[in-house]
Amino acid sequence: MNVRIKELEFGYPNFSLNVRDLSFEASKISSLVGPNGAGKTTLLKCIGGVLPVEEGELYLNGKDLSLMKGRERAQHIGYVPQEYGSTFNYHVRDFVLMGRAAYLSLFSTPSKEDVRIAEEALEYVGLINYSHRYYFELSSGERRLVLIARALAQKPDILLLDEPTSFLDPKHEVEIMDLTARLAKEMKKTILITLHNLDLAIQYSDSIFFMKKGTIFAFGKPAEILNESLLENVYEIKMKIVEYDGRKFIVK
Amino acid sequence: MGKIFLNCFLFLDLLSILFSVDLSQNSDRLVITDSLNRKVTLPSRVERILSLQPEITRIIVALGGGEKLVGLDYFLHLYDPLFKIAFPKARTLPAVSARTAAVNIEMAMRLNPDVIFTHPEDFEIPDTLQSKMRKPVLALSSMGSFDKLIEEMSLVGEAIGRPERARELIRYFNEKGDRIRSAVAALSKENHPRVYLSFWGLLNKTPIFYEPVNTAGGMNLAEELLPSALGTIGTVVKLEQILRWNPDIILVHGNFPPKERVVSVEGILKDARLSSVKAVREKRVFYTFGFWNWWDPPQVLLETLYLARLFYPSKFQDLDIEKEGNEIFKKFYGIDNGFTELSKVLKCDEWLKN
Amino acid sequence: MNGSKIKKNRLIYISLLILPIFLLIISLYIGSYHISPGDLGKTLLSAVTPKSYPNLPQALKDIVFRIRLPRILLALAVGASLSVSGASLQALFKNPLVNEYILGISFGAAFGAALSLVFLGKNFPTQIVAFIFAIGAVAAVLFIAGSAESHIVSLLLTGVIISAFFSALLSLVEFFASPYSLQALFFWLMGNLSLAAWKDLALSVPLMAIGILVLILLRWRMNVLSLSDEEARALGVDIRREKMLVIVSSTLTTAAATSVAGIIGWVGLIVPHLVRMIIGVDNRKVIPLSAAFGASFLMLADDITRVVAPFEIPIGVFTSIIGIPLFIFLFKKSKEIWL
Repeated sequence: MNVRIKELEFGYPNFSLNVRDLSFEASKISSLVGPNGAGKTTLLKCIGGVLPVEEGELYLNGKDLSLMKGRERAQHIGYVPQEYGSTFNYHVRDFVLMGRAAYLSLFSTPSKEDVRIAEEALEYVGLINYSHRYYFELSSGERRLVLIARALAQKPDILLLDEPTSFLDPKHEVEIMDLTARLAKEMKKTILITLHNLDLAIQYSDSIFFMKKGTIFAFGKPAEILNESLLENVYEIKMKIVEYDGRKFIVK
Repeated sequence: MGKIFLNCFLFLDLLSILFSVDLSQNSDRLVITDSLNRKVTLPSRVERILSLQPEITRIIVALGGGEKLVGLDYFLHLYDPLFKIAFPKARTLPAVSARTAAVNIEMAMRLNPDVIFTHPEDFEIPDTLQSKMRKPVLALSSMGSFDKLIEEMSLVGEAIGRPERARELIRYFNEKGDRIRSAVAALSKENHPRVYLSFWGLLNKTPIFYEPVNTAGGMNLAEELLPSALGTIGTVVKLEQILRWNPDIILVHGNFPPKERVVSVEGILKDARLSSVKAVREKRVFYTFGFWNWWDPPQVLLETLYLARLFYPSKFQDLDIEKEGNEIFKKFYGIDNGFTELSKVLKCDEWLKN
Repeated sequence: MNGSKIKKNRLIYISLLILPIFLLIISLYIGSYHISPGDLGKTLLSAVTPKSYPNLPQALKDIVFRIRLPRILLALAVGASLSVSGASLQALFKNPLVNEYILGISFGAAFGAALSLVFLGKNFPTQIVAFIFAIGAVAAVLFIAGSAESHIVSLLLTGVIISAFFSALLSLVEFFASPYSLQALFFWLMGNLSLAAWKDLALSVPLMAIGILVLILLRWRMNVLSLSDEEARALGVDIRREKMLVIVSSTLTTAAATSVAGIIGWVGLIVPHLVRMIIGVDNRKVIPLSAAFGASFLMLADDITRVVAPFEIPIGVFTSIIGIPLFIFLFKKSKEIWL
């Protein structure tokens, strides 16, 4: 399933997002990188239906996103926020079960099938044994995995991950990125991920999109597009690209 | 000379222990002990009276002190049906207190009273008023008892300089009352009708202690609820309790205009929940005067006669309530046909069809 | 969580769900007027087969069917309404301090009752005007605060302001009212079930039932709505529509309950918490259980009111006397953090 942006404009009081003629490849990992305030999260939220888009701006497999009902959109796109923004301490499994909301009518409760799908999602992220534990008992890394599982329960074709590795230790960083890679390769999901860590972006992405001040500054395959002057333009500090063990790393 | 003076002083001191009114060494001052046991010093000549206690205001008017009133409470100013007839001037006097608001002290001070009467429900108000206004404040109430009412009439008489008139009214009051008391004393207690009173606009709100019922030879069922020494005027009872008591007679509060009545005789007779009650079955549900904001002495006296007639129709069949009412109101308030007038407002003519 | 714990939880859940029925029957036995269990049984049967007990005193039948039964049913319905409403709003507002009166219902209803008692008198059922103003208060809050999507805080704040507005109007009515209607008003404001008659129930119980039913149907949905707006939207939920549905149902049921029973505090705040401490935060269980537990809770409080003295003590006194120690006990006992 591909996502095509025709002419996306979104404005906050002091900021506006302006992205034109962009497509993200199906079943591949595309990462959005750039400095703070570049609009990465805003772009992701617009695609994910969290922020409103207008007619003619965003297309999903040819269908206008703004004309889609939330339910339909949520069956195709799963948006994973950085954290859970509420106060109740649900069981992990009940938490993941909420991902089935797009498939359930207003007055219905999850069926056995829904529960099975939720457990499948938990299994895929490796947390099936945590089904009956409480969300707030988990570590940050584990909580992120649960959020991803919840999005997986939506059975989406597209996954949007907002800074999934931030504040995590290296082990968990790698764990999440490996999971992402598997999701693209094994499950054929189209992944869009915002990252602060350029090294991770280089290592795992099929395409990198550099954003600056609300627009896409440049994009392309990491091997092709990466150069030091591009980095300096985007991030406004000098960086060096270093090769080690066949991989590229960024040094500030 | 000094010794004689001292002896006189001691003698008067002795007297003062016997009477609440203390004519001590300074003879242009009185000391009166009020219902809260506060000893209050009054000037011997009182010309300007502010009365925030309706019961006292009514007594003052009955004692002929109406001219001295400079202000009163909101209830007598606007609402009391009998007082409107007895003392029409009430409408023009300023109302210094209101139902949900505190006493308007500034207005009170502007009126410059010599003495202020208030009720004893709020313990702090008399002292606060007295200290703020630097005027004597007396907290008085009969608390539903005839004895206290009589003592009060005497005190107020002394306070405002009309002791003779007070004695006259007390004599009249006792005579009328005694007539009923002696007739009732002859009746055995078992025959006393068991009475439930629904007062103050709520079916299940009832006065725990209401002496007119007792004097008229009835038994107020609510009395068993609390020792009356606790001083509670009324309480809300459970509906089931009324069924449990199974009163012979139900009395409904009636001394206010019919259109304001939330609880009515018709309503009770039609209430399916009360259908098994003896009073309802035998249709012995009647209006009676009752009281709002403390007693009205002539009205409460009349009520005692009325209740006696209600409880024992054959024994008191010679009692003409309308005639008695007019006579009592004339005696107290100096008005003619007072009861006939009141009856028009309260539609009492329907009550007496028993 | 092992199998036996799951079983134990199930048992607790089911027993709490059916407890109201048992309490209802036991409550019929309680009151000033002493009725033996045998007589109670006969009286109940006489409703089904009137001819079988012709000698039963009318007083007995009146007590059971006209005084106790409506009162207990009212306690059941009102307890369920206030609790389920409080639980739903707590989920919606993601705030455990929220109660069912947060959007202005209590003062709207109080003002309506005052208007009715003071100006319309005994001929007009107080309930109706109380209900209208209760709904009106919430409508005002929703209108002023904008769409339900708007920040939770602004809804709460507007609720506080509207409550204050109606409270001021209420004081004004009290001030200008003739003293003859004030006793009835003060009595109403204290909250009580004492004068409940069948005609009062006929108007309000169906409305309460509808509200409770809708909220129970929405129980799983409330889990999703209890997430942040962002997350809920990402999951495909039409937040505006669904939140409005919850608010409308909660308002309907609370307004219906308050218009007939007056203002009874604590129930909608405490019961959902007690329930969550026992059964966790999953609203699939919390919502129906809040209704059942709330019904039992209020019936119990009313039973105590009826047993303790021949006077009518406002039921709010007992909801706090029972509720608060129960809360402390469960709070100390609960090992898991539920919030």
